[in-house]
Amino acid sequence: MKRLIKRICQVVMAGLLLTSSAIAADSVKVGVGIAQTGFLAPTAEPILNAYKLWAKQLNDKGGLDVAGERRPIELVVYDDQSDFSKEAAIYEKLITDDKVDLLLSPYTTAAHLAVVGVLERYQFPMVGSTASSEQLKQIKPGNIWFPSPTMPSQIATEYAKLLKAQGVKSAAMAVLQTPYSLETAGLLRQTLKEQGIELLVDESYDFSTKDLTAIVSKIKASGAEAVIALTLPGDAILYMKAAREQDLLAPYQFLLIGPTGDWFQKMFGNDLDGILTAGHWSPAQAKWPKAKTFYDDYVAAYGMSPDYLDVVLSWISAEITEQAVAVAGLDKGKLREVISTHTFDTINGPIKFDGVQNATTPVMFLQLQGSTPQIVWPTDLATGQLKTKGPWAK
Amino acid sequence: MMVRAPAIAAGLIASAALCLAPLLLGAYHLSVLFQLLAFIALTQSWATFSGMTGYASLGYAAFYGLGAYVMALGWMVIPLWQLIPLAGLAACLLALAIGAVALRVRGPYFVILTLGISELVRYVVVAVEAKFGASGRVLFLVPDMSFLYFIMLALAAAATAITWWMGRSRIGAGLHAIREDETAAITIGVPTARIKTVAFALSAIIPGMVGAVWILRSTYFEPAQVFSPAMSFSIITMAVIGGSDKALGPIFGAAFVVLLSELLWARAPQLYMVVLGVLLICFVLFAPEGIYGRLRTAWVRTR
Amino acid sequence: MEQIASLQILLSALVLSSVYVLVALGLNLVYGTMRLLNVAHGDLMMLGGYVAYWSLVLLGIGTLGSMFGAAALGALLGFILYQFLLRRFLSNSRFAQRLESNSMIIFFGLSIIVQNLMSLAFTADPRSYNYMNGIVDLGHVRVEASRLVVLVVGVAAATSLVLFFRYSRLGLAARALIQQKDAAALVGIDANRINLIVFCLGFGLAGLAGALVSMTEAITPFGGFQYTIAAFVIIILGGLGNLWGGIVGGVLLAFIEIYGSALTSTAYRSIIVYGVFVAVLCLRPQGLLGKRIA
Repeated sequence: MKRLIKRICQVVMAGLLLTSSAIAADSVKVGVGIAQTGFLAPTAEPILNAYKLWAKQLNDKGGLDVAGERRPIELVVYDDQSDFSKEAAIYEKLITDDKVDLLLSPYTTAAHLAVVGVLERYQFPMVGSTASSEQLKQIKPGNIWFPSPTMPSQIATEYAKLLKAQGVKSAAMAVLQTPYSLETAGLLRQTLKEQGIELLVDESYDFSTKDLTAIVSKIKASGAEAVIALTLPGDAILYMKAAREQDLLAPYQFLLIGPTGDWFQKMFGNDLDGILTAGHWSPAQAKWPKAKTFYDDYVAAYGMSPDYLDVVLSWISAEITEQAVAVAGLDKGKLREVISTHTFDTINGPIKFDGVQNATTPVMFLQLQGSTPQIVWPTDLATGQLKTKGPWAK
Repeated sequence: MMVRAPAIAAGLIASAALCLAPLLLGAYHLSVLFQLLAFIALTQSWATFSGMTGYASLGYAAFYGLGAYVMALGWMVIPLWQLIPLAGLAACLLALAIGAVALRVRGPYFVILTLGISELVRYVVVAVEAKFGASGRVLFLVPDMSFLYFIMLALAAAATAITWWMGRSRIGAGLHAIREDETAAITIGVPTARIKTVAFALSAIIPGMVGAVWILRSTYFEPAQVFSPAMSFSIITMAVIGGSDKALGPIFGAAFVVLLSELLWARAPQLYMVVLGVLLICFVLFAPEGIYGRLRTAWVRTR
Repeated sequence: MEQIASLQILLSALVLSSVYVLVALGLNLVYGTMRLLNVAHGDLMMLGGYVAYWSLVLLGIGTLGSMFGAAALGALLGFILYQFLLRRFLSNSRFAQRLESNSMIIFFGLSIIVQNLMSLAFTADPRSYNYMNGIVDLGHVRVEASRLVVLVVGVAAATSLVLFFRYSRLGLAARALIQQKDAAALVGIDANRINLIVFCLGFGLAGLAGALVSMTEAITPFGGFQYTIAAFVIIILGGLGNLWGGIVGGVLLAFIEIYGSALTSTAYRSIIVYGVFVAVLCLRPQGLLGKRIA
């Protein structure tokens, strides 16, 4: 009797395995490496959520459109432990071991740079997302593309223009010692000079700083009209605290990265009113109908608004991948050609690549009005009017 | 030491397998092996000094990072064959400088001081890079993985050889004496200051070279992360689990951690870390001689 | 230069000192009595921070109230850890030896466990809230109310501890234990009881510090490590196991951090901090107020 039961179980198992593998064989495997543990996990989590939402929405419709045929998506996710040096190995594993059909990009510029070599070696095209650095321009096109418009050179040029247009004559800069901020700072020094804006304070600090009181005090004393704080979210908090405490009333205050995150907005509420930041998206822009839909879907799924930079970029990369596959199927050569030449209709408007760069979307500056970010520059894409920073709340 | 024919045979087979790995293994598994070899090299070097003297150093990230920095600066400018030894030399010089300061203290003071110095080096490099205007360095046109694999294999073998040799040498005996009772060692005439410094400096060479090779693999140098103390803690974890006393210990330790990582990390990253933490505690309390030590005891008992 | 004389900077330095002193005291207490290096100290702080966050979000209790809860939870964890695990090991001399020499690694293991359990339980999202962030105008200086709270609580806690160790029977017994373990036992001091109390105190302080910090920073499961490193640097700088050393070290480090970078440039903040640390240990290997070991 025991033997019979055992036999039956084996047959049933085999049957299940066969059928499940039959289902599995039909699905499209999409691989991604991202930080699920370690210090980057807090900011990487919303991005993974975006990818999951994308996969879910497609699967609810029957799957990813692969050149006319709908096939379900299977996300294969690996934790890089906030260590970009693991990224190359992870992506190699995804390609050679898990044999994924498509790849989604990891989080941070460093992680992107780490996988470029792997993509080249296996000639596997992947649309990038959260990568922003002048060094990206040195990468040979063909297997990776960068949709982010917030390139340091763009930010430097456009923000100096913005300030000049407001009649600003003096500025103060506080720079976090991290690649993105340093790159932007170096370029800003030139562009500000070109626009005739005098840099009264030029200070930098490292990532373990716990208090920006000294710098803010110096900035306040200088009387600069524009404050440019090239921050990441962690030190952006410190800036806000210090600026509020010391009642820094410079009319134009800019935080490089931070204010576009949901938890940041919740933390500071109306104090963020008037703060400027870098971005390129807003759900309020009527020219991009898909933007509001995405925003609402994300809020409904995760109870918080999507970060206007990282999460949006990641979603865009998935959108572009999706649209390219609909035309080219899963053939790498065809995909490469489609991604390089087509114009894609994304939640950020039309995107077309020139080499590795996004040639259509300009860098934009957002201003928090109330606690909602509005696009204020360039004026033809603005959803809100640029104003000066008023007094701090309370 | 008994010469065991089966052990030697096993060793030869393992060595042959390792040399043929690039031909036998797929790209992913080769990179896992690459990582394992790197960990072995690092843990062996740690054992060479810290294991033998009992001075647990949390500063190895500085040597590893400096080696990577040398490579990042010199890549495309200086030939590879000169750069790797140069990285080792730089790490050795740094160790001499650090040793002059750190080796004067003991116990927890030494541990935290090495951590403090490692952090100091980290922030100095961050500041220097910021001054240079360099914001992360990308390395293009890096050598093939198989090529890097063999270099790492050589480094792991060299590190193991050094640890083995140290264990049997006079200087090794002196280091052991320091671990048992430093004051007594000084009294009987062991030149403690000198051998500590020599061992410390020697133990930094391989980590420097490992750092240089690793950065070729990851192709991006960013000082804040490369000098991260997390590396130092990982090394200690593997040394404790494997046993830091004999040359084979670190091999077991690194292999165990990598194996565990491969089994768990993919499926449940946070759970993997929790299991690792639990294992670490258990090993320290119940099996301080590490896996290898335990195996040896078991082996001896069965004879 | 007038920046240096500014009261604003002085206040910042004092607030930072407060945090550092609290953190260092907790660590020093545990080390002083049991020679255990609690590498998980920063993570316990994060736990305290989560208590404060969830108290506000779920129960509407502000940090002024929840900080006691955070301290209590910390103490409870310390109690459980000590009673059910450590005591057993400390009584066995073989384990006790291993515990002491390997305490760093053991608590490192604990740190990994705590961090990832918190990540599993609370997700990795940064948790922050607004509480008592009204600005208090003190004439020449403006300061966020929450930062004043940190300062006041820190000073109060440090003072109570100093008084406790100076004048209470328990405190004196603890000091005796710190100074001379074996002799203390001879005189009839119950080492176990003292160890337990001090251990809970140390953990409780970590929870308290974390709750305070949560008012001004976002709490994440992996954010404790930076505080752990700072705490270790402080207690080594001040002299291991020496309570006053922890206080002096904490204040010194905070002032060096703030004033050092104000004087030169904030770009050199960490270099100055670690540089001073290394320099002090060069000149006085036992720390500022520590006893010479050999």
